[in-house]
Amino acid sequence: MRTQRTVLSGAALATLVLVAPAQAAPSAEAIARNCVVCHGPKEAGQLEIPKLANYPARKMVEMLTGFRDGQKEATIMNRIAKAFTDEQIQALAAHFAAQ
Amino acid sequence: MVTTRRSFVGASLSLGATLALPNIARGASPKVVVVGGGFGGGTAAKYVKRFMPQAEVTLVERDRQFVTCPFSNYVIGGLIKDIKQITHGYDKIAKRGVKVVHDEAVGVDPSARKVTLKGGSVLDYDRLVLAPGIDFNYEGLPGYSEAAAEVMPHAWKAGPQTLLLRKQLEAMPDGGTVIIVAPANPFRCPPGPYERAGMIAWYLKNNKPKSKILIFDPKETFSKQALFFESYEILYPGMIQWIGGKQGGKVTRVDPKAMTVEAEFGEEKGNVINVIPPQRAGKIAQLAGVTDDKGWCPIKPESMESAKVPGIYVVGDACIAGAMPKSGTAANSQARNAAAALVASLEGKPAPEPSYANTCYSIVAEGYGFSVTGVYAATPEGIKEIAGGVSKAKAPPKDRDLEAAYAFDWYRGIVHDALG
Repeated sequence: MRTQRTVLSGAALATLVLVAPAQAAPSAEAIARNCVVCHGPKEAGQLEIPKLANYPARKMVEMLTGFRDGQKEATIMNRIAKAFTDEQIQALAAHFAAQ
Repeated sequence: MVTTRRSFVGASLSLGATLALPNIARGASPKVVVVGGGFGGGTAAKYVKRFMPQAEVTLVERDRQFVTCPFSNYVIGGLIKDIKQITHGYDKIAKRGVKVVHDEAVGVDPSARKVTLKGGSVLDYDRLVLAPGIDFNYEGLPGYSEAAAEVMPHAWKAGPQTLLLRKQLEAMPDGGTVIIVAPANPFRCPPGPYERAGMIAWYLKNNKPKSKILIFDPKETFSKQALFFESYEILYPGMIQWIGGKQGGKVTRVDPKAMTVEAEFGEEKGNVINVIPPQRAGKIAQLAGVTDDKGWCPIKPESMESAKVPGIYVVGDACIAGAMPKSGTAANSQARNAAAALVASLEGKPAPEPSYANTCYSIVAEGYGFSVTGVYAATPEGIKEIAGGVSKAKAPPKDRDLEAAYAFDWYRGIVHDALG
């Protein structure tokens, strides 16, 4: 019995070690790379869609949360923002503010 | 959910990366070959180089210039006056350190890890990305062929075919009939045939207003259907008729000599006939052994690595990416995530959690656009949509105008991200 337990926890430990680097959710960087396709980096020359580099973090949280929760009107962002948790929105805002 | 995802990543890591593929020693210069220089391949090459500057990245592309399929409908309709505006070179990506080779990949040996080019050279690779786009399955439509496409253009690969269709529209008489033959699923650019109908109608309304457009379609439903129908009714009342699967819209034969289309519903003659034939993954995918029995490429959702051959990643229209459509934006997003996964595997790490996205704008008249968008996640059952949808029905004109403007920004952004 005791041996079996040790074996089991050994296997569980091995699994843990193996999957430890895997994240349960995409990083802000991975998400943000999708954003810039429409929003553009500085040099892409967007005319209408707001640029996100150096975007004030507090305002981005307010915008994305508002789009997601239906308090802010949008043509497209209300559909996209529903994908993100509060934590992801915070992380995205921090990511762009630091650019 | 978390447990499932974790064990899923763990399993694929142990089978795919750790055992089958040796890691590359730190400091070495791994060789990465990317086949195909469209939105998927361009993005993959650029981002592998960005994530791993010491990697030797070679992009193999047959053509010197990339004429984008997105926005080619606007050249056909006349919204974009010059095809040069949607034509791009590879000089910028080359300046980023990607070696661009203008040749055609004609063979892949996955066990020796070699790609053979038509010009005779052989490229070694540690990891290979295939982004070959689509090939036409001509035998899937009796009467149609590469030669027939010179009479009944597909214009589904942008370039001379785009200009041919435009020229035919300019030459047709007022009061004539344009027929669009739409394909069954899956195919490149699901909203494309219906955006094209709108753009052709825009040209006809302003130049040949007595003309009509028939869309023959084997499908019962299609992408952004309600929005397309709404726009046709507002902008082009009575001009566009859609004959779907239930009404016998499936085309069984085309005759380029008689300029007729034979559908289940009957035969119809057209002045201009645009045939969008059935499709499959580009041939090199088949030669590499990464296609399934239907001609498309199954992939691992967490990395875009082929589900059939380790060390080969397949992105863009050629792959089966669950809920993601065959679009430029999907290819671009898949390629960035594939690049991250590929570099991680070279470093002996598991693939970082991907974030996939798609946005497709359609413009059916100047200042009238709408969109479909999606955010996707890798799950053990495949790539699933976690949020998204289409533009609001009956939206005010200012929204349609704004989305048309956004489409142009999207275009600048994606071209920059893939090739800039």
